[in-house]
Amino acid sequence: MTASSTRTATLRLGSVVAVPFRWRSVVVGALLLVATLVSAVATIALGPLGVPLESFPAILTGELDRQTLFALERLSGPRLVVAVGTGLALGIAGALFQSVARNPLGSPDVIGVGAGAGAGAALVALLLPGSLPVPVGAVLGGFVAVGLVYLATGSGFRHPGRLIIAGIGVAALSTALTQYVVFAVARDRSSVLSAYLNGSLSARSWEHALTVWLCLALILPAVALLAGRVAITEMGDEVSDGLGAEPNRTRTWAVVLSVLLSAAAVSVAGPIAFVALTAPNIAKRLSRAAGPNLVLAGLTGGLLLVLADLVAQHSPIGDRLPVGVFTMGLGGAYLGYLLILEWRKGTL
Amino acid sequence: MDSSSSRTPPARTTSGAPRYTLLLVAGLLLLAGAVLASLVLGSRETSLGDVLDTLAGTADPFTAAVIESRYPRTVLGLLAGAGLAVAGTLLQGVTRNPLAEPGLLGVNMGAAAGIVTASAFLGVSGAASSVWWALPGAVVAGVLVYAIGAAGPGAGLVRLVLAGAVVSAVLGAYIQAVALSLPNVFDGYRTWVVGSLAGRDMDVVLAVLPFAVFGLALTALVTPGLNGLALGEEAALSVGVNTALVRAGGLAAATLLSAAATAAAGPIVFVGLAVPHIVRAFVGIDFRQQIPFALLLGPSLLLVADVVGRVVMRPQELMVGVVAAFAGAPLLLYTVRGMRGAT
Repeated sequence: MTASSTRTATLRLGSVVAVPFRWRSVVVGALLLVATLVSAVATIALGPLGVPLESFPAILTGELDRQTLFALERLSGPRLVVAVGTGLALGIAGALFQSVARNPLGSPDVIGVGAGAGAGAALVALLLPGSLPVPVGAVLGGFVAVGLVYLATGSGFRHPGRLIIAGIGVAALSTALTQYVVFAVARDRSSVLSAYLNGSLSARSWEHALTVWLCLALILPAVALLAGRVAITEMGDEVSDGLGAEPNRTRTWAVVLSVLLSAAAVSVAGPIAFVALTAPNIAKRLSRAAGPNLVLAGLTGGLLLVLADLVAQHSPIGDRLPVGVFTMGLGGAYLGYLLILEWRKGTL
Repeated sequence: MDSSSSRTPPARTTSGAPRYTLLLVAGLLLLAGAVLASLVLGSRETSLGDVLDTLAGTADPFTAAVIESRYPRTVLGLLAGAGLAVAGTLLQGVTRNPLAEPGLLGVNMGAAAGIVTASAFLGVSGAASSVWWALPGAVVAGVLVYAIGAAGPGAGLVRLVLAGAVVSAVLGAYIQAVALSLPNVFDGYRTWVVGSLAGRDMDVVLAVLPFAVFGLALTALVTPGLNGLALGEEAALSVGVNTALVRAGGLAAATLLSAAATAAAGPIVFVGLAVPHIVRAFVGIDFRQQIPFALLLGPSLLLVADVVGRVVMRPQELMVGVVAAFAGAPLLLYTVRGMRGAT
């Protein structure tokens, strides 16, 4: 274990609260926050409609001219808030599922939960408009996908290899369903196409921002309650049984919360690929801590998505490509690197 | 059904040849039915009589034009279906991996990326001349998948598929990025990117045909050796099979056929997975019997999928690649369930 080699400390509040923490994780978390803040400032400042840096104090005091205010309130503001929330949700969802699958590749986007939620959202929003709220459709789609994967492996989530292949199948099935819906209803609206097929953050409103942050406000307390048990479950079934962590029940709840978080992200931004996969892995490498690293994974996810969206908005190639295309390309390359790494170590 | 062959007691050995003949006849009938369906059914309704009249040259010009417009996509469906099915059978034979398939292994996506690159950046215009670029794309993707999948000690069943998924994802993102950035160039490709037989003309058929013919000829040469390969490396060598040559030939043929199929119909997944599985269930493990049957079954399935796509949301069309994924993905799930012991 690497935990013993790094310094830990304990935060005490009176005699009741005592929270042990690692200095390295705290520093990494602070750095992630700073990096996210810098990226956010860059997102707001760059571009023809950007707010120049010297006007930033005016944002806080509310003394902006009308055009800048419009750009901030209608365009870059909600988009940025949605990006942070979506990335946070994806990062934590990935960390939870990877902990259950005991494999860095068992993330919701690899095993088809994202695609399933995307199909559910597309079905509800486009084919049966008004029948259900879009997030509910996404949740249902995500659960159907995870249920199919569970059944198809024939052995639950125990064999990472089977889990991933079943996930590829479920993802293909879900994507085909999404394509059917999208081409049946919105054939000529390319922005709708890319939002549902690739995941996109363009033209997000405060309504989207409210949706994703409301979902986070509801789900994250439950994640916080479960976090301790999830960490214990990683020590193996016997140990966690002995510590009263009820491994099976903990895993079920972790999967449920992971699917809910994925669905929340998908319902505002579409099936953005590979953020849920990469964020927890990067967080783990940065903090070198054992356990699921939920907080850091969430912060990394937020940073990744803000960065990816910054690139998507200002990249020289292509005019405003959907952010999902970037995460798919870059995340896919990272997944390839991860595969080689895991195979060298013989953990897959 | 021939009742006499099923009554003879040692049916397993003696009725092998008649049973196979019967299967081939059934396959031919299926193919003929699929071709007719592809000519008859579409967004505009026509009847079997119209098709026969058109073939005889006695139909009214309008109906004839409608049906003749379905010739290219039907021929392309035949070529692409045959290419994918045989490529899948070859890859499963060469890698001895029941999940090997040009779609899942990223080869089709590589071919598509090659075509997209040629059209976008190299000034290659027209589907016919861009076909040539499918081949290097397919080769590069195949090599890349193998390089990732074979890294580290011990090779699992899963690795190649996972590596294929990764390479497909990255190439898919690249294709999307190019197609979305250069909408003018890719107006005609929008459905092809997902896998579609629609809106292509006979020029494409003529461009793809040599690849397919060459690939099939190569397939015929290596097929006997595949049976030896199935015995394992040492046993194959001891019965006089040049394993390296058979592998190289099989991979080359599969690449040619995948490139041809992708140029014809876009990157279609699961046809190359489904057909070999169905074929094995019917004809057993002899590749000399598998390949001809796959040659009949592949085009039939692809044409049926295309026809389903045409009628399922009239007057719009659903791309054949979407139908194929919908029908084929459950088979992948079924296969995973059967993978006892494999990680």
